[in-house]
Amino acid sequence: MPSPAALLAKYTPAAVTAGRPLAVLGVDGVVVLEGEARVPARLEHLSARGKWVRDLQVPDGTREAVAHLARRYGIVWASEWGPNAHLALAGVLGLPAAPWPYLPVQFNKLAAIREYAAGRPWVWIDDPVVDLDPLPGEPGGVIVRVDPARGLAGLDLSVIDEAVFGPAA
Amino acid sequence: MSDVTTTHATEAAADTGTAYGLELGGPLDDLARVGPGTPFGEVLRRYWHPISKAEKATTTPRRVKVLGEELILFRTRRGEPALLHPRCIHRGASLYYGGVEEDGIRCCYHGWVFDPQGHCLEQPCEPDLGQHRDKVRQPWYPVRERYGLVWAYLGPAGKKPVLPRYDVFETIPEGQQLIVNDAGVGGGGPEVLDFNWLQHWENVMDPFHVPILHARFSGEQFTAEMAVIPEVTFEYTPVGVRSTQIRKLDDQRALRRRTEVMFPNLRVVPSPRLTPGPTNLIGWVVPEDDTTFRIFTLAVHEDPDFLVKLRSTFGGKPWAELSEEEHRRMPGDYEAQKSQGPISLHSEDHLTTTDQGVAMLRRMMARQIRAVTAGDDPVGVIRDPADEIVGITGGNFFLTREEALAEGLVDA
Repeated sequence: MPSPAALLAKYTPAAVTAGRPLAVLGVDGVVVLEGEARVPARLEHLSARGKWVRDLQVPDGTREAVAHLARRYGIVWASEWGPNAHLALAGVLGLPAAPWPYLPVQFNKLAAIREYAAGRPWVWIDDPVVDLDPLPGEPGGVIVRVDPARGLAGLDLSVIDEAVFGPAA
Repeated sequence: MSDVTTTHATEAAADTGTAYGLELGGPLDDLARVGPGTPFGEVLRRYWHPISKAEKATTTPRRVKVLGEELILFRTRRGEPALLHPRCIHRGASLYYGGVEEDGIRCCYHGWVFDPQGHCLEQPCEPDLGQHRDKVRQPWYPVRERYGLVWAYLGPAGKKPVLPRYDVFETIPEGQQLIVNDAGVGGGGPEVLDFNWLQHWENVMDPFHVPILHARFSGEQFTAEMAVIPEVTFEYTPVGVRSTQIRKLDDQRALRRRTEVMFPNLRVVPSPRLTPGPTNLIGWVVPEDDTTFRIFTLAVHEDPDFLVKLRSTFGGKPWAELSEEEHRRMPGDYEAQKSQGPISLHSEDHLTTTDQGVAMLRRMMARQIRAVTAGDDPVGVIRDPADEIVGITGGNFFLTREEALAEGLVDA
């Protein structure tokens, strides 16, 4: 695999507010992009100013789950949606107007995440299909694999908080 | 500090992102490579693939390369097509030099004869023509003929699926005919395309390149309608990814154009010259190896030269007649895709949402790798002969102003 330096050599992601752990989100790990959702969800019809259109399902509770993460973590998108992940999902997820940083990667994201985190604690929440390379035994952070038919709303966020912040979180 | 020093310091600060010390990424090998044992190579080995026009399988042995494997294709004198590994199991001479007989091929070296299933029929130098000849087997692959093509299955024996039929080719209308082409229709270049197959296949899910590469940049290579930037909806289907492109035309009509990729390697690209209605052609992107591939295309049309006439022209000239300067000035699909490299450096891509079709295809490929690794069938594999007919939804559909208004595709 290419080195992390190669992955991010031609793109400089914005920085996240210092002092908080990172929550790195794949779009596939937040909403349901493929197949039927296995939890109650509403269908959303996204459009990027008349260019591309995509239907996706937003499970009930997703907005609240994202808001919970945003209160405790610095959020970073890591997806093939690039800069449009935040733009496209802002309305349906209630995201802030100022976009969160993004890493423009679809597969084998771990190296880019570690490079970006530069020693800060992180949790990476995503669908497992993005892992083509096997994950190392000591990834350097917390990796949470999401059921792509449930998205972020299918997770117990208190377990993630405890893994990142410790039992007292 | 002098003004000169200040200027140099300012320029140095601005000179970020230069190519100095450039370190490049690499391909997504799991998706792009096709040889035996590779992740997507194993996915491809769960399906039938067209490997030759049927008329090119003759009593003269021919070398063919499929999914990184060198093989020998021939037709017995009884008319049965056969695909054998070239190295004779006796002492290794190539069956390319063999002689085709009534029921098989005879090795030139010591005369062992093999039938299309690899059974050894004769060992002429051995007692009783080989008392133990039934104990050996020349490696072979199953082949079938359909739609004027020879199809091969290169996967594990217990996983062989039903050879699909396609609805568009099952009933040929009066006055029309089935057209078979192996000359790279849709590739925009030579008959054998000399770069990684995935660069071409994922281009099918990249409708935004059409109004740029094929219109604004290189002049109108297809039709005026194709120069309009469309609104594109991407969606998964049970067997692949589909894009529906809506173009609002100057005369208040709308064009709904639907293209598909279907696993394992089908390109459902309706005529870019906008033959109206459901598509009358399908192509298969078949890798010879990691850096060469062929496109086999079937079509139904009254004109036997339909597929030849479909090919894009550059300033009115066919691709093969262009000078190097004309290739540079009027690039098409071949120039764009080949210039991505022998195998594109996918980790260098900066995908965005207009690349969603490409990203969805790559994601679906990754899912099939996981399925095959787990021992499951990838999508589109047919087990029940009752399900053998595959429906195609691609096409060019023109909507009148009234129809477009009713669907909210044009402004009132």
